[in-house]
Parts: sequence; structure tokens; C-alpha cells
Amino acid sequence: MDIVIASVGFGLVTASVLAIASVAFTMQFGITDVLNLSFGGVMIASAFIAYVVNNAGVNIWIGVLVAGVAGAIISYLINRFVLTPFKRRNTSPIGMVIVTLALGLILENLVLAVAGPNNVSYAMNSGPTLAVGAFELTALQIGMIALSLIIAGAIHALLRLTRLGKAMRATSCNAGLARASGIRTERVIASTWLITGALCGISGAAFAMNSGSFGSSSAELFLVVIIASVFVGGVGQPYGAMLGALLLGLVTEVSAAFITPDYKEVIAFIILLGVMALRPQGLIARATV
Amino acid sequence: MSSGTIFYITTLLVYGGVDVVACLGLSLQFGTAGITNFGFIIYQAAGAYVAAVLSLPRDTANGGFQTYVLGLHLAFPLPWIGGAVAGGLLAIPAGLVVRRSLRPDFAGVSMLVTAVILNTVVDNFVPLFNGAAGVALVPSPLGNLFNPQSLKWQWMYSGIALFMCIVVLLVIRLITESPYGRSLRAMREDETAAKAVGKNTDRMRMTVLITGGAVAGLSGAILVGFINLWAPSAWTYPETIVLIAAVIIGGRGNHYGAILGAALVPLGFLEATRFIPAFGPAGLVPALEWIVTGLLILVFLWFRPQGVIPERRHRLARSLPAQAAAAVSGAAELATGPARGQ
Repeated sequence: MDIVIASVGFGLVTASVLAIASVAFTMQFGITDVLNLSFGGVMIASAFIAYVVNNAGVNIWIGVLVAGVAGAIISYLINRFVLTPFKRRNTSPIGMVIVTLALGLILENLVLAVAGPNNVSYAMNSGPTLAVGAFELTALQIGMIALSLIIAGAIHALLRLTRLGKAMRATSCNAGLARASGIRTERVIASTWLITGALCGISGAAFAMNSGSFGSSSAELFLVVIIASVFVGGVGQPYGAMLGALLLGLVTEVSAAFITPDYKEVIAFIILLGVMALRPQGLIARATV
Repeated sequence: MSSGTIFYITTLLVYGGVDVVACLGLSLQFGTAGITNFGFIIYQAAGAYVAAVLSLPRDTANGGFQTYVLGLHLAFPLPWIGGAVAGGLLAIPAGLVVRRSLRPDFAGVSMLVTAVILNTVVDNFVPLFNGAAGVALVPSPLGNLFNPQSLKWQWMYSGIALFMCIVVLLVIRLITESPYGRSLRAMREDETAAKAVGKNTDRMRMTVLITGGAVAGLSGAILVGFINLWAPSAWTYPETIVLIAAVIIGGRGNHYGAILGAALVPLGFLEATRFIPAFGPAGLVPALEWIVTGLLILVFLWFRPQGVIPERRHRLARSLPAQAAAAVSGAAELATGPARGQ
């Protein structure tokens, strides 16, 4: 029983990382209409940039910020110089997926070419452990959960309280109508890539912190879990993605305690298939974002 | 020619044959029917594994150093047939998921995710196909006829591989040049219009997924008979991207484009880098190869999306002025042409 309680702790940490990534992924789809398969590549590239900074002796939390900046810049550039031009040519959604897949391949192998085939890990201090019975969390893990909650609150505030958030929701709902009402959708989309790119970078660094060590292809399987939590919550819905992340984070880590950690992603995949087959619109039916 | 050169040439011929067969299957799905199957490589993998365990003796043989299912020790060509059937059968669940998908890009992503996960499962679940180490010592087909190490066998096997290319080309041509092929192109161009003239697009999509899966399975069976080994590292998801790159670069929707793409990308490009002297740390050259593959896809999609050999215009309505005939899409062709129920 203790191992299950302990795995709930791991589950909460994984869910935190997953929530940051899933919200970013689902917003990219909802607002810019691109199913971005280069997401894992951007995550790992940002995590690696954070590693370079961290390796130079900088605290890992500053490294997380650096990863956020890196993710924002990479995603902005991808949108500005690749995705927007292809969109202007009326590339079909599936064509855009091929483009992002190629971009992800390029990014991942750029990291491989620079970093080499060996896994790297951050220099970090996990701090004192907080234990309630078998339930244990290190200060570092509590920090990651707090980071995720702050980001969830910030995204909520952005979407509900700011003009940009309102414009984002309008673009997500109906881009043509938003444009007709005077919203500069291209700008909204560029801002979306900046913001979600930052979240993608942060989640990359957090993912690397959580998994201990990482290499150029580490995010491939994690992307499966991200996609599963996005689909569980309903594609394009930030709040659904948060819920999906909580569900999948807990389910994958608790199942790892029961079966073996080798099949964590397989469990996520089965949930994904189940949702796609039985409820393709996600657990929460589409409302306004 | 030294025997080393001949071995290299026959190896290239077999690899080329395998790539051509796979690209023809992918081109049928991606080029003709417009189904983007990001998990195409798993059908090749299924064909290879099934052909392997059908031709291998029971896993207690060879001192039992590997574990796998079946081990029926069947004679050629039964393992190849089994491989093709396995590829076809594996396409059925994919077809069901695609049918339920809200959008074609969701379907594509679900197939990609399936490819990643199946690779992990086979990698970790050792009793199935010996896990990450893979199945080894797969018997060479017709190894009882000639010694598989001999040049005779090498020439014979490359001959069989090329013969299979021709057979697959003819079969796929038969499909794409028939009224059924016209329906497939109609589905690709405008699914709603194809449905409106009475085409069952769900069933067509399933048929194409199964046919392409069987062709991919056959390509895997040919490959595993030659290299005698099959492991999860041979079919990671980027391998599908290489095939998609080949079809995009060669020219989708036409068979000669698929063949040219197979010769240019998996064979030409990846073999050419073999002759570049190795530089930098280990793994640098393969990483650069992948980067260039990704760039090639982007460059072609931007500058020449129709590929090196563009798809031939399929003209049907001769009575229409040539200009109008050139402009009609597959769907319009179907409406004006002799639309027969499928």
C-alpha cells in the first residue's frame, strides 16, 4: 500500500509537468489550428539550453526560466518563418502536421549533434523531504507543483481577464469571424506561439528535472502522454488539458507502481485510444475556451 | 569485380527493392487516396517479424538464446505470405480509429502515436519477439537451394526482390488506373463530394489501409530474409518520415515518383553519406542525415510540393475542352465520368 501512496506523490509531480506541457500544446492547436508535433523537439532543445546554463553554475530554477525564454524564441521563429508562410499557402491541416514533424526531427537531431548521444542531468539539490506517512515529496518536487499551479492560474487570468486572452478565445472559436471583428489574428497567433513556447520550454526543463537525466530523444514517449492528456481533455481546451494532465499523471505513475514503469506510456496510449474511439470530443464537450 | 563489390551491389538492389515496394504502398495511401499514415513503418515491422517467426524453428533451437512466439519453420514463400497478411490485418484497428477521428490530422497523429507505443511494447515485452535484442538467425529463403553466403544466392535474392517490385507495381497500377482508383483520388480531393456521388469513403479508406499494410508487410518480409535479423531499433517512427520524404520528393500519386523517391532518399541519400569520411563524435553523421531529411521535406513542400515527377493529369471527359478537363478535380471527374457503384 505504501508504494501506491508514494506513487501518488510521483503522480502529482508528473501531472504538474504534464499540465504545463498539455496546456501549451492544446492552446497551440486551439488558437493557431496547428497540431504541433515539433513540441517534443522544442521541449528537449530548451531543456538542453537550460542544461548548458546550469552546467555553468547557475541555479536550476533560473535554468527553468532560461528554458522558457528559449522555448518562446524557438516557437516564435518556427511560427514566423515556417508555419505562417505554409499557412498563407493554404496548406492542409495534415500538411502542417508533416511540416511540424519534419521540424521536430530537425530540432531533435540538432540537439543530438550538439549534445552527443549520452544522457545529461542537471546539477540540482532536491532539498529537505516533506513526509506524511508514506507520502513523500522533496522541496524540489513541491517547487515543481507550485510552478504548475502558478502557471495554471496565470493562464486562467490571461484568458479571462486580458484583452489578449479575449482575442485568443475569439480566434480559437472562429478565426474568420475574429478577423472580421477587427482582431489582428496574425498578431494573436504570434503572441500565442511566444506564450505557449515559453510554457513548452519550461515544461521541457521541468520534465528533465523530473526524469533525472535526459537525451535528445527523451521527449518522444512523453509527447505520447501529452497528446493523451490533451485528447482526454478535448483538443483545444486549456482547462480540459489541465484535467487530462492530472488524470494521466496520476494514472501513469500509480500504474507504474503496480505493473512496471516500462509500460507507463502504454497505459496513456490505451486511454488515448479509448477516448478517441468512445468520446473523440474529449471528456468535456467543447464549450467556449 | 571483386566479390565484395558484387555483395555491395546485390545488397543495394535488395535494399532498393524493399524501399520501392514500401514506397509504392505508402504512395497508394498518401499519394492516391490522401491518407497520411505516420505509422506506416509498423506494417513493415509486422511483416518482418511474422515472416521471421514463421521461418524460424521453435525458440528452443540454437540453444534457446532467444525467445519468440510461433517458430513454425515454414518453407518459402509461406513466411512472405504470412508477413503480408500480418501487415494487412494490423491495418484493421488503424482503419477503425481513423473512421472515428474528427479530423484527418488527428488520425495521422493517432497512427504516429501507435507506432511509437508499439515499438516500446515490442522493445520491453521479451516473450513476443525477443525484446530489444530482436530476433536473429532468421533463415534465408531458399537457403537450401544455394548457400546464402554465395554470390549465386545474392544474385537470386536481388532478382526475387526486383521481381516483387514489378509484381507490386502492377497490382497497385491495377488499383489506381481502375474506376476504383478514380474514386480514391476523388476521396483525396474532396471527400464530401465523393460521398455525395455515393462512394463509401470509410470502406475505401479501410481497403487502402489494408492493401498498403499488406504491401508494407511484404517489404518487411523481403528485408528480414536478407538481413536475417529484426529488432525495434530498425523501425523507430522516423523511419516512416524517411518513406514519406521519399514519396513527397519523388512525386506523390504516381508510381514512378514513388520509385524515384525510393531510389533518391532511403537508398541514394543515405548510401551516399556512407562514402563521406566519418568526422566528429560518434552519432554526428546520422544526426546530420536526419536534419537534412527534415530539411528536404520542408524545401520540397515549399518549392516543389508536387515532387520531381508530378502526378499525371487523369483525363476522362474528352468531350470537355482541354482546359476545363485539366481543371476538373477528381471529384468532378467522377461526376462527369461513368460513375459506377463500388
